[in-house]
Amino acid sequence: MVGRFASWAYLGIALLFIFLPVLVLIQFSFQGGMAPVPPFDGPSLRWWAKVMANRKITDGLWNSLLVGLGSAFMATVLGFLAAYAMARKRRRLSGLYQFLLMAPITVSYLIIGMGLQIFFNHLGIGKSLWVIGIGHVVINLPLTFAILYSQLGEHQANIERAAYDLGASDARVVLEITVPMLWPSLLAAFFIAATLSWDEFVIAFLLSRFDVTLPVVIWSMLRSGLSPELNAAGTLVFGISILAVALVELLLWRARRNRA
Amino acid sequence: MTDRVEFRSVTKEYDGNVVVAPLDLSIAAGEFVVLLGPSGSGKTTLLNMIGGFASPSSGRVLIDGQDFTDLPPARRPTATVFQDYALFPHMSLAANVAFGLRMQGMAKPARLAKAEAMLELVGLKGFGKRGVHQLSGGQRQRVALARAMAVEPKVLLLDEPLGALDLALRRQMQEELVRLQKRSGATFVHVTHDQEEAMSIADRIVVVNKGRIEDMGPPDRVYLKPATLFAATFMGESNVLAGRVAAVSSGEIQVETPLGALVVPGSALLASDVHLVLRPEQLQLTPPANGFALGQARVEELSFQGTHCRCHCHMSGQDLVLRAPVSAGLKTGATVTLHAARDDVVVLKA
Ligand SMILES: Nc1ncnc2c1ncn2[C@@H]1O[C@H](COP(=O)(O)OP(=O)(O)OP(=O)(O)O)[C@@H](O)[C@H]1O
Ligand SMILES: [Mg+2]
Repeated sequence: MVGRFASWAYLGIALLFIFLPVLVLIQFSFQGGMAPVPPFDGPSLRWWAKVMANRKITDGLWNSLLVGLGSAFMATVLGFLAAYAMARKRRRLSGLYQFLLMAPITVSYLIIGMGLQIFFNHLGIGKSLWVIGIGHVVINLPLTFAILYSQLGEHQANIERAAYDLGASDARVVLEITVPMLWPSLLAAFFIAATLSWDEFVIAFLLSRFDVTLPVVIWSMLRSGLSPELNAAGTLVFGISILAVALVELLLWRARRNRA
Repeated sequence: MTDRVEFRSVTKEYDGNVVVAPLDLSIAAGEFVVLLGPSGSGKTTLLNMIGGFASPSSGRVLIDGQDFTDLPPARRPTATVFQDYALFPHMSLAANVAFGLRMQGMAKPARLAKAEAMLELVGLKGFGKRGVHQLSGGQRQRVALARAMAVEPKVLLLDEPLGALDLALRRQMQEELVRLQKRSGATFVHVTHDQEEAMSIADRIVVVNKGRIEDMGPPDRVYLKPATLFAATFMGESNVLAGRVAAVSSGEIQVETPLGALVVPGSALLASDVHLVLRPEQLQLTPPANGFALGQARVEELSFQGTHCRCHCHMSGQDLVLRAPVSAGLKTGATVTLHAARDDVVVLKA
């Protein structure tokens, strides 16, 4: 009985430790006064209205969405193609390819960002949202590849074999069997990549100049001190992330159920 | 008439390991052939070479006299029922069954009607709109069967299709397979390592071991007169007496065995080593017509099996298994005289 209570208490404290800062951040985005510090004198939507009217923030929001969705789409497509090739067409060097595909996961974002900056500089390509998107594809490809590769097992191969056996061509098997069969995992990979791109700061900071993403906007606003407006912007970032994560959980849960 | 399927000196190697030794096999149209063998004997490999999922290292695979060795599965008049069913999880049952027809370009109303008819044939009438996840294992197996048969293959390949089902369901599905096969007239090539299943469904059993055909023929022949020691021991239980031929006369040989000299019908070279094989139910407690006595045995162990008693006996250093009628009332430790009919003894070269 006591042990049970203790374990619940422990869980409660752990969750509080993780979420209290976030909850405070959210609460003070509804602050009435000028400073995001107690006492709380809200709730008021005044800072939210200010955020929504702030061109820098709304532009950053759109840029982030654009980069997040675009780079996640590319990372998912490329990750799927790589996973499909690795899982279905065994070649002699596939171990090496797999290592090279997964390698970026061990490199820090700072190094990747610097590398890309130098590389694009050499090519004479200026900093832009495109370049940030490419950076995010680089960091997310190992993840989408790993997720999709794990879903292309022997059972799925047998299902594809059944389709070939019934007269389907390569293209039809991929489009009508493999992709629909992996649909939940593809969406999950997409949303994980989109979430990571959405609140990624280092690469976005290093590779942006005029068009910047939301985390970079927030960072530049932070330099001029705290304000409940920043809390509202942060809450926005957090809320959209949570939404995407919930979607991923739902999709993965469905994928697991379908496999059973 | 040409054979439906023909293996011509086919071999298969994986990285230098010979999985199928040079092998010839002909399967007639409309035949129900069962490939029977232990795990790793090459059954799946043989099936895959008919279906196009594996290509022989050498030799040819012919279907209806035409060389299909190098054609992919999609271009072969074969269809496969996989052990794990391999149903398309994102499609309804009707769409699953109609998939092959859609690939052939059949119009939607026609293929849905056909799918419905196929589902009815396997006892799943009205299930067309359901999803794969709402089915039991036995039902999935039926859908897999309907899906493969919908394209009207000349040859249906079944790789241990009943392996995952419980015993009662397996028996029922065995009967249904035979019924479907007779009805469709298609050639069935069925892989199993269950010898009872093989005997109950096959027109012809092909006993495979280490990539070779040990024996093939109708189930009763393979069971009663196996061609090799492996076939004798794999197809049910056998008592094997090792011996040496001591005398040969026309149609009869005398064999020195641990149980003494036995005269049995057959032919063999003088002084060659042979095995004498007798099934447990062929050892009898009363002298049969045209039989002989093997000698006195001591009953070591008895187990009641309902229809009979399974009995382990010991005789001159040889262990024997027999099926005694329950009415014989055997007791452990008793001494019995064992007999066998002459014609039951199978003589195999060692
Ligand atoms: N793709 C492969 N690569 C290497 N070896 C293989 C491959 N497929 C099969 N083998 C080998 O070939 C042999 C025969 O395999 P096969 O699958 O035909 O046996 P099987 O009779 O179907 O056995 P089971 O009853 O266990 O299914 C085995 O020793 C197996 O290890
Ligand atoms: Mg097998």
